[in-house]
Amino acid sequence: MSPRQKRQLSLEVNGEPYELLVEPHWLLVDVLRDQLHLTGTKIGCGIGVCGACTVLVDGQAVSSCLALAVDAHGKAVTTIEGLAREGRLHPIQQAFIACGGFQCGFCTPGMIMGAKELLDRNPAPTEEEIRAGLSGNLCRCTGYVKIIESVQVAVRLLQEEMAGEAGAPVSPGPGRHAAVGSGQGGAR
Amino acid sequence: MSTGARTVTAPGRSGVVGARVPRVDGKEKVTGEAAYAADIALPRVLVGKVLRSPYPHARLLRVDTSKARRVPGVKAVITAEDTPKIPHGLFVKDTYPLALERVRYVGDEVAAVAAAIEEAASEALELIEVEYEELPAVFDPLEAMAPGAPQLHADRPGNIAYQLSVERGDVEAGFRQAAHVIEERFTTHATYHAYLEPIASVVSYGHTGKLTVWASAQEPFMTQAELAEALHLPPSDIHFIQPHVGGAFGGKTMDDNHLYISCLLALKTRAAVKLVNTREDEFVASRPRVPTVIDLKVGFAGDGAIVAKEARVVSDNGAYTSRTPVIMRTTCIRADSLYRLQNLRTHGYLVYTNKIPTGSMRGFGNPQMHFALESVMDMAARELGMDPLALRLRNATQAGDVTVHGWRVASCGLSECLERTAAEVGWRGARPAPGASGTKRRGVGLACATHVSGRRHFGNYDGSSALVKVNEDGRVVVLSGEGDVGQGSRTIFAQIAAEELGVPYEDVDVTMADTESTPFGMGSHASKVTFVGGNAVRVAAADARRQLLEITARLFEARAEDLAIQDGRIFHRELPQRALTVAEAAKAHIYRQGGEPVIGKGAWDPPSELHDKTFYGNISGAYPFGACAAEVEVDVESGEVKVLRIVSAADVGRAINPMLAEGQIEGGVIQGLGYALCEEIRNEEGRVLNPNFSDYRIMACEDIPVEVKAILVEPVDPYGPFGAKGLGELVVAPVAPAVANAVAHAVGARITSLPITAEKLFTALRRPQASRPATPNR
Repeated sequence: MSPRQKRQLSLEVNGEPYELLVEPHWLLVDVLRDQLHLTGTKIGCGIGVCGACTVLVDGQAVSSCLALAVDAHGKAVTTIEGLAREGRLHPIQQAFIACGGFQCGFCTPGMIMGAKELLDRNPAPTEEEIRAGLSGNLCRCTGYVKIIESVQVAVRLLQEEMAGEAGAPVSPGPGRHAAVGSGQGGAR
Repeated sequence: MSTGARTVTAPGRSGVVGARVPRVDGKEKVTGEAAYAADIALPRVLVGKVLRSPYPHARLLRVDTSKARRVPGVKAVITAEDTPKIPHGLFVKDTYPLALERVRYVGDEVAAVAAAIEEAASEALELIEVEYEELPAVFDPLEAMAPGAPQLHADRPGNIAYQLSVERGDVEAGFRQAAHVIEERFTTHATYHAYLEPIASVVSYGHTGKLTVWASAQEPFMTQAELAEALHLPPSDIHFIQPHVGGAFGGKTMDDNHLYISCLLALKTRAAVKLVNTREDEFVASRPRVPTVIDLKVGFAGDGAIVAKEARVVSDNGAYTSRTPVIMRTTCIRADSLYRLQNLRTHGYLVYTNKIPTGSMRGFGNPQMHFALESVMDMAARELGMDPLALRLRNATQAGDVTVHGWRVASCGLSECLERTAAEVGWRGARPAPGASGTKRRGVGLACATHVSGRRHFGNYDGSSALVKVNEDGRVVVLSGEGDVGQGSRTIFAQIAAEELGVPYEDVDVTMADTESTPFGMGSHASKVTFVGGNAVRVAAADARRQLLEITARLFEARAEDLAIQDGRIFHRELPQRALTVAEAAKAHIYRQGGEPVIGKGAWDPPSELHDKTFYGNISGAYPFGACAAEVEVDVESGEVKVLRIVSAADVGRAINPMLAEGQIEGGVIQGLGYALCEEIRNEEGRVLNPNFSDYRIMACEDIPVEVKAILVEPVDPYGPFGAKGLGELVVAPVAPAVANAVAHAVGARITSLPITAEKLFTALRRPQASRPATPNR
């Protein structure tokens, strides 16, 4: 094997700046998973069809299994690990827990990132728009019914948050396994 | 959505059974913290890769790994010569981890590499020199059975891996009574599990002499035992730890070679090895659903009673035998208990072909026969001039029945499931008339199904065991070896333990399955984890409760039977002010002379029995039933089928968590629709033509029907934990026949070959009128 020239990659991931040396052919998903140990982003198909590797690059949903890491130079990447803030889950994450919008959870990080981009773009999507918007993310467990419901509940939670009602309990109510409360499992 | 609040049903109970509580693994799954096998990070882990056969059938003349071994960074290149050459297979031991002398399908594993980095592993793979001598191959199971066909395994003449015959009653006399006989050939196809997580494993081996295995396997203890046998190691030298598993659906029973190979690489290198399937590996070398050819003949009396049934089943085994003998047996036998039939004869043949070996996939052979039988029911209804719902209700198995194969049906919601699904799609006394507008035709159809909740098979044992540990701070830990592959068993176990113990749900944790610390469990198969594993957890929690009550009785100088536990508080029933917390009792029990922890132990084996030589017997502790109704729209110009509405009712006994039960139904229904309409592993001369998610389409969010409705029917099973039965597999079985019946209702064409593609329907609609029903059914 001939040694390859590595390139300097400067990027921001979940708000943290990184300076990395990467080979030009390395994929963004591999750099996230293997170099930064952000394994929440999954590899499901390797050809950009299943959506399990979805991350946001400058706010745009990207299949990180198709994106070259060097193309993220100077950009801001958000992965599933970057959604919760100070131990508080993002409303989309809360909604997926409350509605049972996942089973095995393998598609869930990509699904939630896909939903994040959808709701950033369209804060009040119709059911049809949700179905179309999430069609790049495959799920084999749920049949999508509770995922669609999760996104609808997330819309409501985000609206409530905008209206300053943050902290209003999402049913089911508080508890270690519930949607609301600290990520460290307080609220006992 | 309803909240977790629910009225307390009895003293000592928490009221959490039956509640839509959030899952115990929710936070880790929505944040990306949940670690799956490929996420396990170990220092200096090697990368594994596998070389596969490009030929469907060939002799291995020479495998030269010398160049590959010289690639810098390569630590091992192994072939069959580096293995103990012990074949594996639960029922027929015909699968070598790496091909021995011959390859028998495109994808057969020939050699494997472990290297420090992926590039080195890939380069080494390309440098392995293999000389093949191609052999004649056979791809169709009917051709493979014929004289003169190429033979796959010398010790299995005629390519028959397994065959069975089952006969009950008097079939000839039954057919003589028949006013109508329906006879038809049905074919079903290979489909792939398509769990989102490809099979992955990390295996570590070092000076302890133990293999530590993290793998996406659905049966921790069975996998440990099977690995031990094929690797010639004591089982306890294999420490299996189940990480989060990204869906399984029968595809992670480890009947394929993946895990054997990663273990062999670790043993050879005395290091840690990570092997992760690509999606293409999955499509060419996992163990997809068994395709079948089913010739079915059913006789009906004038009043609709089924009087005789005769079937011949040919199941396509592919090149090696996974669990297919029992899968075929399921195809041959299980659907017979759906109805009150008495006279039947079935012959089944499991046939080798030079294709990907087939295996267990959600339903375990059951959806295949349900497609045939439930199609025949609608064909018969038409001949009899009966409503298809009425015909089914006329024959439906009921609670208290002992079925033709000896199932003792303690609870049965079959008729209720049928009636409720039919009502949802417009049955009001009778099936609504088909509709038409432009080139579109609408119709509705239904079908029903039965399954098991565990199946006694392995050494006359079908049980489970559990420990329930009460910590000194009052928190409870459930240890079970059943594991969770995404269906939510850990959540169900937490609910069962909380309810039985009388503590808040939030106070219960459930560990991951681990062969060194969790007690024995058979794992996720046969829809048994809630029913069998849940009962073991309940028994263990009852034992822990008994201990807490006895501890408190000593402290209070009261009788244990006068005490109760509720919401984590132990109190005297007559003097409720005499109370302490579970934490106080557990702590008091430890911190004293000769103190000990509170650990409840439970084991439970269902009241089922091994079948006899004729396959007669009460094989499962409980039988779930279900029904599915579909409304379809067919475009008569293109043959395209659109499912507008799908309703599925499942007799779950009792839903421990309705949110999770609905999730099982919804997911199963959509998988069933994929099976019915759009999914198919396509082969040409043994090569898979569509080994990826762009060419093999599973339904996406925008593809599902506008209305998907799940109905829970809860007759409360006397043996289930709090009445619960199995659910996961049942719901897939009735979907394809419901769709086929709806299509026949809409356009009059009967599709007998899955999947129901636009091409097939287009062709059927253009057949001469005489060869198909002239008018839509009713």
